[in-house]
Amino acid sequence: MEERQYDLIFICRPDTPESDVDKVISTLEHAAAEKGGKIEKTEKWGRKRMAYRVQRLREGFYVYMVVRSTHGELVKELERRLKVADPVIKYLTVRLDEEMKRQEKLKRHRERRAARRPRKTAPAAPPSPGSGEQQQPAATA
Amino acid sequence: MTEENAPQQQAPPAAPSAPSGPPRFSGPGGPGGPRPQGGRPGGPAKRGKRSFVRKKKVCRFCVEKADFIDYKRAEILAPFLQERGKILPRRITGTCARHQRWLTVAIKRAQNIALLPFAAEL
Repeated sequence: MEERQYDLIFICRPDTPESDVDKVISTLEHAAAEKGGKIEKTEKWGRKRMAYRVQRLREGFYVYMVVRSTHGELVKELERRLKVADPVIKYLTVRLDEEMKRQEKLKRHRERRAARRPRKTAPAAPPSPGSGEQQQPAATA
Repeated sequence: MTEENAPQQQAPPAAPSAPSGPPRFSGPGGPGGPRPQGGRPGGPAKRGKRSFVRKKKVCRFCVEKADFIDYKRAEILAPFLQERGKILPRRITGTCARHQRWLTVAIKRAQNIALLPFAAEL
């Protein structure tokens, strides 16, 4: 099965000590390792104001991770652990590999077009230099 | 954002209520209107005070050549929301169809993780 990439964001209560947040992160890492996936990146965004209240809280400690796995069960397991973890008030997993693929495809497409464009525009926009080049060798020869 | 767009929004409805009829359409004013014909039928440009130039709106994401709209960056998504939290339509923001599609998905994701509001509070 092909590998899938997910974004995983969870929000902890703002009053949790950082050590507890780290604990949550490490449990997730263990779970990922167990299921044969891996956590590529972990970013602590820190305390941020939430756009709306969650469990009567206005702020939350955001943590962002990038998870890679070939095994879909991993997401289930990670979400289960987040649900159980006390400091976590909200979490979100987004599958992103297909969008990444699309993004790369578009990028490649654009690059190819950009690479082609100078060749195309050079004779098209100033037609005289293109024809001039053809004439010059003839003139020299 | 919305304040800027308000006049643009209100402009088209205001025009038909005016006695001269909308400058764009030849419909209500009638092609065979009593007014002197100035080249074009339906005469769009005759009433000087009624004619206004609309600025062409360009898709912001196309300008940036965005291949992907990141839901994690709430600050770039926020201008596409009304104060109440509704997503602004394409006709107001000028976003192209493809990017609007991506944008709505990104906004909805951001809402789910409390980066953007579903609705304004209070």
